[in-house]
Amino acid sequence: MNDYEYILKTENLRKSFGSLEVLKSIDLSVKKGEVICIIGPSGAGKSTYLRSLNQLETITSGKIYIKDELFLHREHNRTIHRVASEKQKAMMLEMGMVFQRFNLFPHKTVLENVMIAQILVRKRNKTEARQKAQEIIARVGLSDKLDAYPSKLSGGQQQRVAIARALAMDPEIMLFDEPTSALDPELVGEVLNVMKSLAQQGITMLCVTHEMGFAKEVGDRVVFMADGMILEEGKPKELFEHPQNEKAANFLKSVL
Amino acid sequence: MNIIHRIVNIKAWKHTTKTAAIIVMAAVAFIIIFSAINASQEEMMNNVSDQMKQTIEAEKDSTRKRVTVTYNSFGFIKYLSVSTSGASATKEAYIAFAGQIYPANEGFTRFTGLMVNYTYRMLGSGENILHGVKLTLLLTTLSMVIGAFLSVFLALGKISKNLIISKLCSAYIFFFRGTPLLIQLFVVYFAVPQIFGFAWTGLFQNPEAVYKGAFLAALIAFSLNSAAYCAEIVRAAIQSIDKGQSEAAKALSMTYGQTMRTVIIPQSIRRMIPPLCNEFVMMIKDVSLVFAISLMDITTISKTIMTSENNYLVFLPALIIYLIVTAIFTYIFGKIEKRLSIYE
Repeated sequence: MNDYEYILKTENLRKSFGSLEVLKSIDLSVKKGEVICIIGPSGAGKSTYLRSLNQLETITSGKIYIKDELFLHREHNRTIHRVASEKQKAMMLEMGMVFQRFNLFPHKTVLENVMIAQILVRKRNKTEARQKAQEIIARVGLSDKLDAYPSKLSGGQQQRVAIARALAMDPEIMLFDEPTSALDPELVGEVLNVMKSLAQQGITMLCVTHEMGFAKEVGDRVVFMADGMILEEGKPKELFEHPQNEKAANFLKSVL
Repeated sequence: MNIIHRIVNIKAWKHTTKTAAIIVMAAVAFIIIFSAINASQEEMMNNVSDQMKQTIEAEKDSTRKRVTVTYNSFGFIKYLSVSTSGASATKEAYIAFAGQIYPANEGFTRFTGLMVNYTYRMLGSGENILHGVKLTLLLTTLSMVIGAFLSVFLALGKISKNLIISKLCSAYIFFFRGTPLLIQLFVVYFAVPQIFGFAWTGLFQNPEAVYKGAFLAALIAFSLNSAAYCAEIVRAAIQSIDKGQSEAAKALSMTYGQTMRTVIIPQSIRRMIPPLCNEFVMMIKDVSLVFAISLMDITTISKTIMTSENNYLVFLPALIIYLIVTAIFTYIFGKIEKRLSIYE
């Protein structure tokens, strides 16, 4: 059906902050429709990995493929290959990102938050963008908050708006960077429910999370990261019940 | 219509608005009542000593008068002074207030009389201070608007990743913040025409070429200076916006320009307002430096009156006028800040 094998692939991806090596050779490939949950102790480089994919961090070396096409190739902090800039924007649009701290635009209403990038980047006209925004906001269950400012919403509602904002750009893959970590415990559920429904709709997701229940239930594959390396990956059931790696076993023992 | 409705609907007024309205109405009532019961000019003239009256009478048909009669009235308070010049110069002054006439030759009544006289002169006759207020406001507002506009580019330049642009903008800011405004004004007004071989007055047609040339020079100097100060305000405001905002915009594939225009700058404007208001108020007072290039602002006019009256008390009404101007602008900026914090 698709003319590509992997929607997103990284090879030997490395990232250092000065002398501190945060990511040590990450190889990961994501197929369309897959939900991949990345778990691991803090400081493992999970967030840095997502941010590297989205060009919020510049990688030290490695290759990033989007839809089997080489997007970026760097070695020792030098760019060896990068797609032409007009294509780069289109390829970046394949990724939508949801942040731990929502990062909604506080001076714009919910509707405007979801509309603005559609108009500026996707070049949709206002009516079209508004229609799309209303449809997606309804999907995250916030149709009654269209004209509210983010400061008037709870954390869970804000995160749902952030998800809607990313979805409105029609990304092929959604990156979630600990979407529930900044929320009060009672608000976690509503965000996870939205994410679950997205997974059921077949949206490809790469999700850094500390919600083991979510990873177990929704994830097609779980990746365990520690010390900047992928130490183990597999089906959630196998990984959670029979972790092969010692560190993974210790980590799971402490969080479950 | 909405505005009229809001004014008429007194019940919905805010407490401070009600208080302000009561104060204004009380002041108006005070002025009307006290004006009505106040003594007339004839009554004040009757109070003048007989000797002085005789002198006035004697000189009635003379063409070379040695007696000067000054009468200033704000209605509720009036000032009358009669003075003779020459070897036997004498002076009598009176103020009329609340139906009474007081001699104003010494002490507190003299002080009050002089204040009435100076304020009246500033508002009324030749060296009308309102011209000065107009010039001060025009120069302040224009140079702040131009300065604020330039400062956005300076600020973006200073935080730019391009080293040359960044250093250039930093150098500009360093230069204009590191040298006195008065000397900058002198350089623009005197040195620049000398270097480039033109004259500020030559740029305009008569009759007001001198005034217009000096105004343009002052405007340029103040705009360049306020741009440097505002640039630091703008830079600080931009950098105070959470980094997550620009990351979110980048994740949505918005360009740098789009991010600045629609996300970062609109948010930072609210944070700029208090320091910009500060800068504006400073500028109102800095504009008084134009006395050095003989533009007639509030300060220059009070200085002129001071020279002709030979009395330093003239500066007291000038202070009050500055205070009123500053208060108005502080109020306006407060309103703007409130309007902009709607989403917080």
